[in-house]
Amino acid sequence: MDILLQQILNGLSIASVITLIAVGVTLIFGLTGIINFAHGEFLMVGSIVTWLAVANGISFWLAILLAMIVVAVMGFALERGLFRFTLERPTNGFIVSLGLIIVLQHIVIFFWNANQKSIPRPLNTIWEMGGVRIASVRVMVIFITAAVVAMTFVAVTRSRYGRALRASVEDRDTAALMGIPVRRYITGVFVLGSALAGLGGGLLIALFPITPFTGGTMVMKGFAVALMGGLGNLTGAVVAGLILGIVEGLSAGYGFSEWTDAYSFGLMILVLLFRPNGLFGGTSGPKMA
Amino acid sequence: MLLTISDITTGYGPTIVNRGVSLTLATREIVTVLGPNGAGKSTLLRTLAGLVKPRSGSVIFDGADVTGQAPDVMAKRGMVLVPEGRRIFTDMTVEENLRLGAYTRRDGDAIDADVKTMESFFPILAVKRRDKGGSLSGGQQQMLAIARGLMARPRILLLDEPSLGLSPLLVKEIQGIILDIGERFGASVLLVEQNAGLALSVASRGYLMQNGRIATSGPIEELRDMSLMRELYLGGVAG
Repeated sequence: MDILLQQILNGLSIASVITLIAVGVTLIFGLTGIINFAHGEFLMVGSIVTWLAVANGISFWLAILLAMIVVAVMGFALERGLFRFTLERPTNGFIVSLGLIIVLQHIVIFFWNANQKSIPRPLNTIWEMGGVRIASVRVMVIFITAAVVAMTFVAVTRSRYGRALRASVEDRDTAALMGIPVRRYITGVFVLGSALAGLGGGLLIALFPITPFTGGTMVMKGFAVALMGGLGNLTGAVVAGLILGIVEGLSAGYGFSEWTDAYSFGLMILVLLFRPNGLFGGTSGPKMA
Repeated sequence: MLLTISDITTGYGPTIVNRGVSLTLATREIVTVLGPNGAGKSTLLRTLAGLVKPRSGSVIFDGADVTGQAPDVMAKRGMVLVPEGRRIFTDMTVEENLRLGAYTRRDGDAIDADVKTMESFFPILAVKRRDKGGSLSGGQQQMLAIARGLMARPRILLLDEPSLGLSPLLVKEIQGIILDIGERFGASVLLVEQNAGLALSVASRGYLMQNGRIATSGPIEELRDMSLMRELYLGGVAG
């Protein structure tokens, strides 16, 4: 029992970061049909910003806020400068994102080299409860993610903007007929998704050292989570992220920890075999006229 | 004139759909555009709503040149299209659909009141308030689509084939609703129909469209009597 809780918390803390990616990937896909594979690099940039800020004496909490802002601005610029021109053909957006992976990685390597980077743990407390050792930093990551994801969820399901966003996802033309400025919502979703990736990057570097190549593995899992939940489905991404966290935690604790990735991708394959549209049913992206 | 369309030409790719269409609409007037399938009626409405950019010609709405403006801008100006095939948001509740219709408005209390108004005007919407739009029948979806359009408090409501796929009984109901729109909501109606019976019973003036051009136009009584119209059009269609 004791080790179980510990392992699940470990799994959930990594899954938190992955869920933050998955939410961004799924929101952007739902509205634009673009699968942004560079989202992992957005996360990595978030880690780098946090690392730079902390190295310059800024507190970790301010640093992750800064990471969110910087990556959000980057997402805004990339949407206005690149992705905007691929909206009629989302496959082109996907190809653009593949190119961006290389560009972003190498910009980071050019300025800050390819070595591993880490920051001192923002929280060092280890709670001991009946033989269970719980690192507070992991709990912090889970709580911040849960809070941010819950806020995103409420905004999408309850607010007037969320309603307009869901309408735009379902039928872009008809949403425009309601007076909804769909293009502005597309920009907004890129900015929101990027901010979440920036946050994920800040949280990730609080858990583990990162390299300029960290984004690749993270986006693969983020994409797997988004697919499992149903691409374009926010609830699906969150629930699948939770499942992934538990499975990874259990597999690391009771199975063979070097097989953790195989368990998560195996799970994704199983889900897609039996439910090709994901657990909660995905969207097929925007209808193209 | 509330709306003056002059010499509008539209097309998709190499295909020309509308060729030099001109039309006017006055405040609270109900005008219909009749014509066979493929005549270019829907494209004309989609152009007015901003979904299709015209190749040439102009649209003057309430004194402002609004030619080629984007659909969200047109909706904000009060030109609201109830599209062919209803295009209800199927994953969203009836109430959410209604509230989306009021997206351009900021007057929260008045929006709440208008939701109530729609629910009394279309009682079925009150019954189905919490149901997903996709669970509604065709007729109910049409009611919702019209109500959603009215939620914008439009100055011009563009109705594209509201009778499509509906039983004669429901067509009768739609007819009553269209006649009420001007009085209850102060909007003008531009109605595109293949069902000439419905169109002729609600409109005061009409345009007959054929191969993308206005073949003839005039007061509804004249159109009703026209032998050309009968031959073109009324023959095959049940009214």
